[in-house]
This record gives sequence, structure tokens and C-alpha cells, in this order.
Amino acid sequence: MARVHIKGRDGIELDIDALPGTALMDALRDANTGVEGTCGGMMSCGTCHVYVQADWLVRLPAKSQDEADMLEAIGEIVPVKPTSRLSCQIAMTEELSGLHLEIGPPT
Amino acid sequence: MGTMNLKMLLESKELERCPFPIPVGWFHVDFSENLKVGEIRNVQLFGQEWVLFRTESGKPGMSDPYCPHLGAHMGHGGKVCGEHLRCPFHHWEYDTSGWCKSIPYAKVMPPVVKKQAILRTLPMVEKYGMLWAWYHPQCEPPGFELPYIPEIEDATGYAGARRGSWTANTCIQEIAENGVDTAHLKFLHGAPGIPPVDASYDGPIMKLDIGKGYIVGTAYGPGLNVMRFNQHGITATMISYSVPISLEKTQMNMSFRHVDYAEGTPELHASKKVIDHMIGAAEGEESAGFESVDFVVWNNKKYRPNPLLCDGDGPVLQFRKWFKQFYPGQEDSTKI
Repeated sequence: MARVHIKGRDGIELDIDALPGTALMDALRDANTGVEGTCGGMMSCGTCHVYVQADWLVRLPAKSQDEADMLEAIGEIVPVKPTSRLSCQIAMTEELSGLHLEIGPPT
Repeated sequence: MGTMNLKMLLESKELERCPFPIPVGWFHVDFSENLKVGEIRNVQLFGQEWVLFRTESGKPGMSDPYCPHLGAHMGHGGKVCGEHLRCPFHHWEYDTSGWCKSIPYAKVMPPVVKKQAILRTLPMVEKYGMLWAWYHPQCEPPGFELPYIPEIEDATGYAGARRGSWTANTCIQEIAENGVDTAHLKFLHGAPGIPPVDASYDGPIMKLDIGKGYIVGTAYGPGLNVMRFNQHGITATMISYSVPISLEKTQMNMSFRHVDYAEGTPELHASKKVIDHMIGAAEGEESAGFESVDFVVWNNKKYRPNPLLCDGDGPVLQFRKWFKQFYPGQEDSTKI
């Protein structure tokens, strides 16, 4: 298991466990964080938006063009920052244990 | 290559009737007058169902029936809304090129819909008073244009309302192959001799001259063939536009045209007689048109990829080599 430290939309911080090999989005959705993950990882809904803590951002695989495009699209309705990622595009590994992030605002 | 496969000749069980995919090309879908503005209907062509529609501005569209969103069949309950086809399920709208133009409840359009068409549609043109669709198995854009055909496009000078439509239980290649199989004209059709044939190939175009100018034809891919019959001092034209319904079923459609001779002239009489003869029996002619003799062969034969040909046969293999270009992705197939 990989431990993920999250700051929820209500400001409350908590730790959840994510199964390596699954998408981070799945763990966030199952933990009732408000992440919906409606499209299931197709990068077409933008409902799994998170802000990754800057020191962790560099340890994640780079964004694809499709992810960047979806983030740009939701930028019309929510604040998108350089630390914004779609959590469906972050494949969990043991090495990511300790990841810090904040759940993005609802779209 | 270069060897006779005796086993294949002696054993036909492994042979298939139509081992071909649907070929690439422009194909007749319907006559323009049969698709009204705002109309939407389902058609079975190219081995699947399609939704055929005409937008408010008159543009024809032909799309895959199943909405890319959650798979509703848009030909059952879908509507034409302005220039779009609207799915009945959640009112997603698509234009005739398959681009999603509206999702009425999404706050953010999925980025992919701005980058590309997400619904498979077929490029269409209206020409000769007909709707034509470009079919390509890998959805490539049209590789050639439909030609100008004076007999059917010029406002004056030509006449003839005769049309025909026949269903053949075989594929287009098998039907078209008879054009170069000149020996069958003598033995199946009862022509007085085996006419000489000259065939030339240029990209998607094949030109045939059968009987030293008796029949001069040009094929534009698998879906259009213009054949001019020169006999009795006149030229009559058969415009043939076959379309694959499925892998083993073809709708053969034809229009017959001739010069607009005055009523009662021997030229008009000759023109009509030549057209009669193209199709079936004609007064004073011994040989038979395709209707009476070809179907029994087409509907029951199997395709031999390695036929046993003899001297006197027409350029069957050259024809097949030409036709193979319409099966992209099948270049290495030994079945075709």
C-alpha cells in the first residue's frame, strides 16, 4: 500500500491508502473525497482534479497533451495551477508513498 | 507463386464465395430525391447499418448509428436539428463530419471533441442526382473524385429514364470480373465469338475496350462504371453503380442513357434496342444480356484465388491485381 496525505475540500487533512498499480483517482473516489472520476480515466470530464504538493510534483510522470488539454478546459470554471493534475493519470507505486496533495474544487 | 496447387484445384471445400472485405470507393447510396430535408433513416450498406440524414440546409450525412457517448442508436428516435444529428438519449449533437457540436448539460466539453470527429461518418457528395458515400475501412479521406458524365449531367442532349436495380448474392469484385472475362461472353451469353479485350489501368481507373470499340467502359473504383455501347451507328450508355450491402450481397444499380433523338427516328429505335440488349434479350440478337445468364453463376460460384486459366481467357489476373488496391491492409492476403 502507498500512503497518500490529502487535504480535503473542507480543509480537513487525512491519510488514505492507495493500492499500487491502480490510479490515484480510484483511491480518492473510494475515500469519498469529492473526487468523482466520472469518465474513468479518459481525460474527458476533469472531475478528478487535484493540486499536488510542489516537492512531489517533480516525482510524478509528466502530463500528456490530453491531460494538459483537459486541465486547460476546466480552467474556465475552476482555478488551474502549475501543480494541477488529473489524479486518474497518476498510477500509484510504492515509491509514491507519502504523496501530499489537495483535492481540487468541484467542477 | 508459379506452381500449380493441385490440391486446391481438386478440393473446393476450403474455398470461400467472397473472401474479400468491403472495398474502398465512392458508392451510390440513394437518389437525391429520396432524402428530404430533415429526414433521417437507417440504411444497410457496407456490411453494417448507417444513419442517413439530410440537414436543414440540405446537406446529406451518413453516420455510424451508435452514439459515441452511451451507445444509443441514433436512427431510432434521433432527429435532425439544424445542421446536426441529435441523439435521442442525451441530446448530444453531431455534424455531418462527425464532430460533436453540442452536449447540452456539460459545463466543460471533453477536449477530444474540439480536436477531432468522434462519430464515424462517411464523406458524401451529390452528383448525377444521387447521393454518394466514400467508404474506406480505415476512414481515409477520398482518394479520387467522381467523374463528369455528360450523358447524365448535361441538361440537354441526352435522354432515357430507364433504370434498373438487381440484387446479386456475391461481392462487387466477382461481378466486375466478368468485364474482363471475355470468354464467358461467347459461352454463357452466346455471343458469336470471343471478343478481343484491351484493358488499361491507371490508379483507381480501369479502361476496357471490348470488341475493338463495341463496348468502351471506364471504371472509377469499384462503385461506378460507365460503359458506352457502340452499335447500329449509335452510342448508348450504361452507367452502373453497384454498392456492397454486405460481404456477400451487392445491389447492382444502373441508369441507361442515349442521345436525345427525335421520336420515331431509326436512331432512337436503335438506341433503345441496344439498351434492351445490355440488360436481357433483344429483338434480333442471339446473345443474352446479364440479367438472364450472369446471376446464376454469381449467386452460386466460389472464388478461386489461384484459378486454372488457359489461352483465350481474358486478363483476369491483371484485373485482380488492379482491384486489390481497394482492399488496403490486405496486401499480403493469399485468399484474395
